[in-house]
Amino acid sequence: MARRSGSPFIGFGAVFVKELADHLGSSRMFVLEWLVLLTGIGAVYTAISDLKTTTASDPFVFLRLFTHARDPLPSFIAVLAFLVPLMAIGLGFDAINSEFNRRTMSRILAQPIYRDALLLGKFLAGLATLAIALVMLWLLVVGFGLITLGVPPSGAEVSRGIGFLVVALFYGGLWLTVAILCSVLFRSAATSALVALGLWLLATVLWPLIVQFAANAIYPPNAVTLLLGGGPSLGQVELQQTLSRVSPSTLFDESVLALLHPATRALGPVFMSQLEGSVMGAPLPFGQSLLLIWPQATGLVAGTIIVFVFAYIAFQRQEVRA
Amino acid sequence: MRRAFWLPVVFVTLVAVSHAQAADAPHVKGLWLTTDYPSLAAQAGQPTTLQLKLQNYGLPPERVALSVADVPAGWKAAILGNGLPVTAAMPATNDNVPLTLRIDVPANAGPGTDELVLHARGAGASATLPIDITIGQNLPPQLSIKTDLPSLRGTPTTSFKYTFHVQNDSDKDATVKLVADAPPGFQTSFTESYGTQQLSSIPIAAGKSKDLQVQVQPPDNIKAGDYPVTVHASADGAAASTRLEMQITGQPKLSLSGQGGRLSASAEAGKATAISLVVRNDGSAPAQDIHFSGSPPSDWKVDFKPDSIPALVPNQKATVQALLTPSDKALAGDYMTTFDADGKGAATSADFRITVETSTLWGVIGIAVIAIALLIAVGAVARFGRR
Repeated sequence: MARRSGSPFIGFGAVFVKELADHLGSSRMFVLEWLVLLTGIGAVYTAISDLKTTTASDPFVFLRLFTHARDPLPSFIAVLAFLVPLMAIGLGFDAINSEFNRRTMSRILAQPIYRDALLLGKFLAGLATLAIALVMLWLLVVGFGLITLGVPPSGAEVSRGIGFLVVALFYGGLWLTVAILCSVLFRSAATSALVALGLWLLATVLWPLIVQFAANAIYPPNAVTLLLGGGPSLGQVELQQTLSRVSPSTLFDESVLALLHPATRALGPVFMSQLEGSVMGAPLPFGQSLLLIWPQATGLVAGTIIVFVFAYIAFQRQEVRA
Repeated sequence: MRRAFWLPVVFVTLVAVSHAQAADAPHVKGLWLTTDYPSLAAQAGQPTTLQLKLQNYGLPPERVALSVADVPAGWKAAILGNGLPVTAAMPATNDNVPLTLRIDVPANAGPGTDELVLHARGAGASATLPIDITIGQNLPPQLSIKTDLPSLRGTPTTSFKYTFHVQNDSDKDATVKLVADAPPGFQTSFTESYGTQQLSSIPIAAGKSKDLQVQVQPPDNIKAGDYPVTVHASADGAAASTRLEMQITGQPKLSLSGQGGRLSASAEAGKATAISLVVRNDGSAPAQDIHFSGSPPSDWKVDFKPDSIPALVPNQKATVQALLTPSDKALAGDYMTTFDADGKGAATSADFRITVETSTLWGVIGIAVIAIALLIAVGAVARFGRR
């Protein structure tokens, strides 16, 4: 195979614009957006009716819009944690295999467009679609809050909200790359969707249970501690947390907790000696909260890049025939 | 039986008592007009009253006519009974009638002694009473102040309380005005001793005295030394004063805060951070041998540079560096830490809110991880790209 020259990203712009237009106009996207919008508004509406009574006393009332939950509706972030991966998988599961199935792949690649540009364009178009949907939703929530609460958000609230937006975007991005990887690996769109959704269910629902079981097996609880009513041992807690952080949903949950609850000072087990003399409930500066979630955010960003690299290598090594 | 035996004894005793009373009755018999002070001094232009008694010994009750003779020209004299002018009285046997003589001396009456004669005339008996009235022997108005403890000692925060007596030595009631002459900045107030109402003047009856109290509060920042306070009492035409001494001993008073009054600082977990502390002596005496200490959460370290100051004169400040090292396991966020300054006789403490920041090392590592991921992507493009 002769090595070709020039930028590998020639034609990236054309792919990106075309894919973005397809996404935004597709009925699949339309359904997903309305699903997110309706559940989101439902959650925020109940939150607002509760928050109206505490507007004056809470310095972070706008962040409560995202986190406040009242039975039976979950909070806005719980809705997003559930629906963002679904949206991302919906956008990416047939990115590559649909081109094969429609027999358009060879036609595209007959154009002066490298595979690099095709895959990156499809990924970034999906990410841009997610970003548009999330920003729209975020602005809707903030605008809704402005109208009903009647107080402007503070600078800290806005920066924390934007941080939340970025984390949510990369959480979606990770699942988007997973879906694209599946679409590269499996020729059938149904298989690809099923595998991607299966992975998501494994990470979100099953993984915490597996982790708990594994930690319990490796650090069996001491009989004496159990008799005295003590909790799990430190080793068990730490192992459980380390393992659960393999799942992107744990990373997302922890990041959102630290960003939207400014009083969060640690995400792991805390010793009493660390709490001595501390002022409880005092909010952390935004920079410190960011430092706290930096490993989690890094994990999400790096995970997105690495999974994309896998999808890229798999795609580059594939045979494309006319 | 027993009671019947005692009865005659009681009866005999009662008879003996009534006999004794009958024996005490005076042997004099007749009508008398008496007074306690038959010669007195009066003031021109002012009414004078004199208590009289019309006494009847052993005479049957009869009407007694009363009159005043030899009244100087321009004077007015009247006999009052029960507050009303009367011209006759009727004392019962062995009883008396109280009467009052009221004399109005005109303002232009010259000095000298005049004699008035009172007459009481009944059908069978009569009585006369000459009375001497002297005009123009007025006492000059005079006040005096006496104090028991004229010199007190205390610190600038002490409230100095001096008890004193004001005596009105004149023959007239007087309203006495009280003024205290204290150095500027001193707060003074007069009260009755055992009273709480603040006074500026007080009425004192002729010949009487009042126990009063003056309370002096020096300003907090006064220097040690002796300060005089003079108390003046004045009524019209008379004045008296007394000098009180306040001996104020100094007291150091320390205050501790951050640079510019700040009580907060930020420190990085596990790293020593210098916090500038300013210790001031707001008192009135030098503070000696000031030691610094801190009570941070456990596993934290605090050192002071210097860790003691030999002396700090009043109204001076000194800067101390506190080197605070939060525990490397400290959580990001706010902690409370107390810094203490301990001098001889004065101590203070300041609560600082320390915002702990965690190391940005993780941030750098995170960026490195993302950079490695991007490098892998670039490597993949270089290896597999442009197909």
